[in-house]
Amino acid sequence: MSSAKPTVTGRSETAQRPADARSRRDDIRRFFPILLLLVLVAVFSFASPRFLQFNNLMIVAQQAVVLLVAALGMTFVIIAGSIDLSVGAIVALAALVAAATSASLGIYAIVPACLVGAAAGLVNGVVVAKGKVPSFIVTLGAMVVYRGIVLFFTRGAPISIDDERFLDLYSGRTAGIPHSVLIAILLIAIAAVMLNLTVFGREVRAIGGGERIALLTGIRVDRVKIAIFVLSGLMCGMAGLLQGARAMAATAQLGEGLELDAIAAVVVGGTPLTGGVGSIQGTILGALIITILSNGMNIVGLDPYFQNIVKGLVLVLSVFVTIDRKKIGIIK
Amino acid sequence: MKIVATDIARSFGSTRALSGVSITLEPGRVHALVGENGAGKSTLLKILAGAERPDTGSIAIDGKPYAPRSLAEATALGVRLVFQEITINPSLSIAENVFSGQLARFRSRGLLNQAAMNRAAQALLDTLAVDVSVAQPLARLDLGQWKCIEVARALSTDPRAVLFDESTAFLNHREADQLLAAMRALGDRGLVVAFVSHHLAEIDAVADQLTILKDGRKVGDFAAGELDREGIQSRMVGRDLSRGLYPPRPEARISSGPMLRFNNVAADGLEPTSLSVAPGEILGIAGLKGAGGERILEVAAGVVRPRGGSITVGGAPLAAKTPAEGWAASIAYLPGERTTEGLIVDASVLDNLVMAKPPRRGPFFDRTKARAMAQAMIARLLIKASSEKARSGSLSGGNLQKVVLGKCLAIDPRVLLLNNPTRGVDVGARTEIYRSLREAAKEGLAILMVSEDLNELIGLSDRILVMREKRIAASIDDPAATSEDAIIRHMT
Repeated sequence: MSSAKPTVTGRSETAQRPADARSRRDDIRRFFPILLLLVLVAVFSFASPRFLQFNNLMIVAQQAVVLLVAALGMTFVIIAGSIDLSVGAIVALAALVAAATSASLGIYAIVPACLVGAAAGLVNGVVVAKGKVPSFIVTLGAMVVYRGIVLFFTRGAPISIDDERFLDLYSGRTAGIPHSVLIAILLIAIAAVMLNLTVFGREVRAIGGGERIALLTGIRVDRVKIAIFVLSGLMCGMAGLLQGARAMAATAQLGEGLELDAIAAVVVGGTPLTGGVGSIQGTILGALIITILSNGMNIVGLDPYFQNIVKGLVLVLSVFVTIDRKKIGIIK
Repeated sequence: MKIVATDIARSFGSTRALSGVSITLEPGRVHALVGENGAGKSTLLKILAGAERPDTGSIAIDGKPYAPRSLAEATALGVRLVFQEITINPSLSIAENVFSGQLARFRSRGLLNQAAMNRAAQALLDTLAVDVSVAQPLARLDLGQWKCIEVARALSTDPRAVLFDESTAFLNHREADQLLAAMRALGDRGLVVAFVSHHLAEIDAVADQLTILKDGRKVGDFAAGELDREGIQSRMVGRDLSRGLYPPRPEARISSGPMLRFNNVAADGLEPTSLSVAPGEILGIAGLKGAGGERILEVAAGVVRPRGGSITVGGAPLAAKTPAEGWAASIAYLPGERTTEGLIVDASVLDNLVMAKPPRRGPFFDRTKARAMAQAMIARLLIKASSEKARSGSLSGGNLQKVVLGKCLAIDPRVLLLNNPTRGVDVGARTEIYRSLREAAKEGLAILMVSEDLNELIGLSDRILVMREKRIAASIDDPAATSEDAIIRHMT
């Protein structure tokens, strides 16, 4: 860098905390999710020796996969400043399609499962971007519609998956490691590359940071938004496939409430609902925290009726610590 | 009431916003605080109003120590602050805005006595000599009248001092005049009045006394009329500005066909209009809000669709239906609202600079190239930032605007559309922006600039169009030979 570069620090007349206190607080914010995860692991492994066994850890990983994969798509949606409440219903829809086609298509049932997920996301995206309807409303309606489609076709009865090759590939294990975990790792890598290294990822952040600014700077906001919802739908397609394979069946209730867990995973991971910023690493931590919390509470034998209370409190606590109030200004 | 502040110092992190500043505010006198962005004027005002606390130093009111810990405490002691930002809630009535926070005063038997509240609000507004009736809906009033409602709100607690933090920043000159008249009225009633401003014309108009700050230190106190505008500016900037704010116009124009041409282009808010801008030319557009100037930019940028007529860019027809198509045709657009339209304050300087045309390798973002681009633009526009990775929000207003301009120049545009490019920008940064614009024009860029600052139009433009009632009212081919008054006559 040439010496001609101006080096005066940006002055600001607005209120700021002293730099050291500010950065210390930033550190707490940044490291809180991983800290929380470590604390949970420590508490549960102290309370039950079974918790840290390889087998249980693999169960945890397997349990986390569906939530995590759905939350990966949700991360893009939330960074762009939108929300997708139809995640759980799309997962059910994709699982249904995977189950219905697995007998004839075998392992290739992944294709229709992903297609139906992407199509459901496309509908969401087009109505949000072109119809200019808030994503909360669109996906709230879509959640009911997609779940309704599942109920309409299944009449509430589960559809079992019997195809051996399908089950082997999507819920089998190699060297003790569940295939679903390997698939999730692959999807994490793809999502992380998309968010951090591509122009698309930058456009997603720009839209969340200021949609009008992005529009006036020549970003094709509508197109990017549609792509984001298609991506979320695709991830749900994969999540539905993996969930169906694990349960060896698609049920009408599958994925119920998953959208809220996915949002919670993203938010607990430090991605604010206000958009513009966020990370895949955070979402991974968030999904692990939520899953480990459930798994651990079961293993230590906590009253199942009490567990929800703990989960809700942990959600609010972690946002209480990680939220950057300076940047948000008004908390609604 | 007399406010005496002695040796005030305040740091934010490693940045010293104020060091050892003393100031005396006398009743009945309008006191201007003048300085560039970052000079410490707003911080000083906020300390006086209780919004910030000094690290060291003391303040006394009429000899008694005064150390407010909040705006509310300062209010109770008779000192009120009017903010830079608009703080009117458009979903409330005028009277509710005036008395927001003290509606309980008008409670009778558990209900709100609207009539009494309206009468009281009207009485306060009348003392400001502004033409506002509490019965009017807020949406019908202009921003200057909104600001006057905020002044009435300040007066509702019967203060003895009212401080204005760059309150004219978002107003056009007609709106600002109303607010300045209100300040004068308060001064004449014997209140302590202090205001922060960049605009020397405002200081000329109402200030009795001025204090110039630079880099957190006081340059000096002066009586009105003691310094001329150049004297004030050179003390604010700390260097001689006798060469003038504006770069010289080039002797020879680039001779070629027009770069941007409007042929009877009409749109919502724009009657059929024809104009052309040549490469290398800076075409200024004057006019009141809604007169059509901003609409010309929006149509050219693809933000608003034209209803008829044709547009050509570089001789080829263009009908940008979206801003994306405009940018793709090398038309860069700098919107009027810096922080809601121009750049993302939470994003880094680099993110903003390369946002319009991110360097890419296939689908991937090319970080190395982006860093080089951003660093080159920071050096070219003299953007003061700790590095290209700095959060944009940590920059001062002038530097933020340079980032928006850099975002436009980074695509190497053929046409640059500017909506008030130096609004709320201090003198030092302004000269640098003018210099960059002239240099870009010399390279063949066609610039179309809408501005409320008539001096800027006269000083920088090669030609000026004056808009009135959605059409071109006059074309001034030799701006150097015209005056502000002549332009205002065409505008109204």
